Amino acid sequence: MSRKQLLSAFCALTMVTLAACSRDEAASTPETTTPATAAPTTVAPEPVTSDSAAPGDDTTAPPTTEADPCAGTTLDATDTGISADTITVLVMADVGSELAPGLFQGSIDGTKAWAKAVNAAGGLACRQVEVIEWDSKISATESTNGFLEACAKAAAMIGSTSLFIGDVSIIETCKDAAGVETGIADIPERAVDAQHQCSTHVFTVAGVNGSCPYSGTGPRDYQAAVGVYRKYTEIAGEPLHGIYLVPSDLPSTIASGMPTIRGLNQEGLVVSDAEFGVSGRAEQAVFGEYVAAMKTAGSNVAINGSNDQAMIKLRTEAKAQGLDEGGVIWSCSLACYTEGFQQDPNVDGTYVWLPFLPFEERDSNAELASFLDNIDQKFPQSWAVGAWNSGRAFERAVNSIVAESGPNGVTRASILAAMPTITDFTSNGWIGTVDFSKKEISSCFVILQLKEGAYQRVYPTEVGTLDCTETNLAIWTGDSLAEFQG
Amino acid sequence: MKAWELLRSRLGFALLLFVVLATYVIVMGRQGTRLPPFNLDNIATALFTGLAIGALYALYATGIVVVYTTTGIFNFSQAAIGAFCAFLYWQLRVDWNWAAPVALAVVILVVAPLIGLGLDRLIMRKLEGSPVVVQLLVTVGVMYFILTATGQIWKQNRPRKLPAFYGTKSIDLGPVNLTYHRAIVLVVALAVATALRILFRSRLGVSMRGVVDNRTLAALTGARPDVVSSVAWALGAMLAAIAGIMIAPELELDPSNLNAVLVVAFAAAAFGRLRSLPWALAGALLIGLSRQFMSSFLKLGGDWQFSKNSVAPVVLMLAVIALPQSRLEVGRVARNLKQYERTTKVWEAVLGGAVLVLVVLALSGGWLHLGVWNPGAWNEVALNRANVAMATAFIGMSLVPLTGWAGQLNFAPMVFAGWGAFIHIKFALDPAIPTVSVWWLLLIGVLSAPLGAVVALAAGRLRGLYLALASIAFTEIMALLFFPHPKSGLRDAIIFKPFDVFGNALDTRRSMLILLAAVFVVFMIALTALRQSRYGRRWVALNNSEAASATVGVSVATTKVIVYAVSAAMAGVGGALFATASGSVDAVRTFTLDMSIPIVLLMAIGGMAYPIAAIFTTFQVLFLALGERLEQAGAPGWLLGVVTFLKFFGPGLGAIGMVVNQRGAAFETGRQNARFLPWRQDAKDEHRAAKAKSRETEIGELGLARPFTPSDIVVLERQLGIADDVAIGRHRRRDTASDLQRVKGGDGVALGG
Repeated sequence: MSRKQLLSAFCALTMVTLAACSRDEAASTPETTTPATAAPTTVAPEPVTSDSAAPGDDTTAPPTTEADPCAGTTLDATDTGISADTITVLVMADVGSELAPGLFQGSIDGTKAWAKAVNAAGGLACRQVEVIEWDSKISATESTNGFLEACAKAAAMIGSTSLFIGDVSIIETCKDAAGVETGIADIPERAVDAQHQCSTHVFTVAGVNGSCPYSGTGPRDYQAAVGVYRKYTEIAGEPLHGIYLVPSDLPSTIASGMPTIRGLNQEGLVVSDAEFGVSGRAEQAVFGEYVAAMKTAGSNVAINGSNDQAMIKLRTEAKAQGLDEGGVIWSCSLACYTEGFQQDPNVDGTYVWLPFLPFEERDSNAELASFLDNIDQKFPQSWAVGAWNSGRAFERAVNSIVAESGPNGVTRASILAAMPTITDFTSNGWIGTVDFSKKEISSCFVILQLKEGAYQRVYPTEVGTLDCTETNLAIWTGDSLAEFQG
Repeated sequence: MKAWELLRSRLGFALLLFVVLATYVIVMGRQGTRLPPFNLDNIATALFTGLAIGALYALYATGIVVVYTTTGIFNFSQAAIGAFCAFLYWQLRVDWNWAAPVALAVVILVVAPLIGLGLDRLIMRKLEGSPVVVQLLVTVGVMYFILTATGQIWKQNRPRKLPAFYGTKSIDLGPVNLTYHRAIVLVVALAVATALRILFRSRLGVSMRGVVDNRTLAALTGARPDVVSSVAWALGAMLAAIAGIMIAPELELDPSNLNAVLVVAFAAAAFGRLRSLPWALAGALLIGLSRQFMSSFLKLGGDWQFSKNSVAPVVLMLAVIALPQSRLEVGRVARNLKQYERTTKVWEAVLGGAVLVLVVLALSGGWLHLGVWNPGAWNEVALNRANVAMATAFIGMSLVPLTGWAGQLNFAPMVFAGWGAFIHIKFALDPAIPTVSVWWLLLIGVLSAPLGAVVALAAGRLRGLYLALASIAFTEIMALLFFPHPKSGLRDAIIFKPFDVFGNALDTRRSMLILLAAVFVVFMIALTALRQSRYGRRWVALNNSEAASATVGVSVATTKVIVYAVSAAMAGVGGALFATASGSVDAVRTFTLDMSIPIVLLMAIGGMAYPIAAIFTTFQVLFLALGERLEQAGAPGWLLGVVTFLKFFGPGLGAIGMVVNQRGAAFETGRQNARFLPWRQDAKDEHRAAKAKSRETEIGELGLARPFTPSDIVVLERQLGIADDVAIGRHRRRDTASDLQRVKGGDGVALGG
């Protein structure tokens, strides 16, 4: 063998080893464009505390505790994905192409953490939960394949986050073990595609901010989370006017981002000085224009509907351009609740609002503590929260079936029937109330502020509480895509 | 006449470009609302922001110009090298906390030159004299390899931020602040352009340009071509590293993001005719300013949201079309790879097609029982993937007549496919009709052909690299302006309906796969017949020499229009099939350059001139499926590692492998295995001759290292083509007889073609 051949063989061997041994590093945060401002969820009067447990809450044990439902029962394979020993669920997420892995890894992490917790507590419907992971690769084809895989192997889809959804009719019509076109329940972390949002087989914990059914084009009724900005107005001490960053790489992100700003305009809470479409590939220099617009208009609010990187660029550019940041409310959603954002010194003072109790308050809520105990990351992606709660909602549906029909009553059809009966889901007080019979978002939120590298609660001031005032939501009707002027 | 000459000058072109861009902006702006005031503050902001962005582009553009001017190779991997170096700098500076000067020195002065030298020694030097198509695609392969390696080494699942030099410190310029980082970028861009201009006028610079024009002649005048080539690649990689490190703080540290500036860099380089550094710099600044002024003073509605990003491809398109073609010529004779080769007979294509359909039927239906291993019928996921892969292969096959035969390099197959999908949506998806007749595909082909004809008329005079750049610009323009536009109908989620054949709905995935295989085979046979027709021969002749073709009475323009139309028609049909197979399409991400390049690359790896090579476009799907199967079967880690490695790095390595095998895998496979076919006596003879030739001894260094022997002389004479039949003896006579036989029956050994 010549020296060149030896060298080539060595290189090839090295690369094979590299490919075989390369592993994801532990920490995980969203790196690219997120699906617009996360909207808060459900309706509840006044601030509620996490320990004010809602009726029929969401514990791991079946609600009927008089007798062990597993005792003396011979378990059967009742449907596809439900064997005598296991219940298989599938989580689908855009973990990315080969070049950009990790986008919604949190969805997978959260679902696996939930399964770990359930199995440690004795399982679900007397069976162990198995999780199939599916990478939808930000591709409509692969999300279609994920649906097909779920139809072939799973009892339900849990905790998924996919930006591109192909043919939703697959999960609505796929056959169960008896050959009936029952379909399969999909309980995603969130749904951004209109067809997906409005499907009868889809039950999102995050809710749907647009009315259903919807043709995909034209005007639609939207719920806009405006309560947060009412609070910001109080903090600012004057009416808010400023700029809004819309994630503009995808029509779906524009469509879900615009209703918030139009809702705020309509309610007179924020006047738009300017609206900008932000690409995930925009150079920071481009943000100079946005800062200039703020300077010109004397804006006192900057609302980021895009990802954490967009806010980092905006804040960094504002510093570079010498903008007086003192009187400005820098507002971001849960997209900025990331480890990377927390570590960036240029974003200090940014407000971040969440629809769930923050990780910093683990002692205030047992569910939150359980989540943090079971997930592998120190600072998980926020998508993991929704995925975990999707699992909890599924768990509650299955437990109600077990209570009513026993562990052999769990089928795809019974899960589909049970999900809409859950009207008061709070994940044991971690989030606002979710009514799965309706496709609505929650009105609950908590506002944090990043101070010296740590997120600190601003409102409501009491630890372990969320503001769930009904008027936190406003209805805006319009064509969100046509409204975009960025 | 004078006006025309002015138009063709650089100044004239700049003026023309300004007018076109202004018109473009005004036309786009008609839909605008809420325009910001055109005051000094806003103008200054746009000006400095635009200059800062333009300077970033300039760094990449100058690197491309340097490499092209000094080696004759247009380097697609420039931004990928920059991305790798930016990540490496992050590793040293941020993760390992090295001092900035040390980290910079290591990356820019050590690693980057080593990358450049490695590329030169291992790959690029072997491309000397190769066709432009091969040169381009090899650099595309290098780009893929480097990007994939970067993505695998630094996975994007943890926050990485490369800080700007001096953080947010800035210079107060009144209405706007210029950060130190951007000031450094501007200074570096200007300094690099100036230094390189001086270098090009030095003895080394003259040598560099001389080597690319005529390597042998330059060597005779004392230049050292190998050294010059190495210096050029090292310099190019250093410039890429500087650009990557400078641009990374402005973007997110993400390989694909850092590589996305490539088209802008191409546009700037094309503005400088790929040779002028000052004009490349000017082009980059012009693009940066145009984009920023457009962004600042036009608020385009949702319908045109992506249009501001289209400035660069518009400039690129105008530059390659409007600039004088004579000065854009590559300026050297490519190594003649054309050999007489046997073309596939139609009956052979029919036979091969039948085998292909049978294989698809057998594999998908689980008919194969390999001893104890019965893989079973494909599940829905496998069928769905196979459908999309087969439709993609069909789109790839559309490149065979256009690029494989006529030599018209085209990076826009997905644009033609998107056009077909667009027609499919507009005219075939009546909500009242549950299925679409399969004959509709023919009409889609007919309606897609005019787009190809229009492209041929617009880009007809372009060749080689400039045609490739024009097709890249065309793809980007369509992907940014046409497909995402709501009126294209592609943006909304549309579920494509199944086809029906004589009233029988093909509403299962397996029936769709069989349809796809059948359509693939029908077109493969049609192409085989076409290759042997007058048109096929004309297209090949066009590829060999346009001038010679014109001399013998072939209308070059008409021939190009026809071949483009045929290719567009095929790709259009493929687009409709692709959309139906996918169920729905994503208008923003499907018909793009990112989707087109892998198809072109895999077709080239397979063999662009051979319809069957289109199967190679299913490469990654095959490896994905293989990996999953092996994992399910509990295969050992090392085997999974090999499959994973090939899945990720296969396309890049395959393209780089074109250095050795420029005709593609289909050709090589045919050459190696055709002799096993009972009717291929010619291939058997060829194989015997090749074997005999391989037994001949090496000549050595023309007798310098050892004395000539009589057999050496025979071999030498044979290689020089002056051998005497009598001297060579019986063996040679047998070869000659074999040659004559091949000439009578049409020479060559490939299965395809």
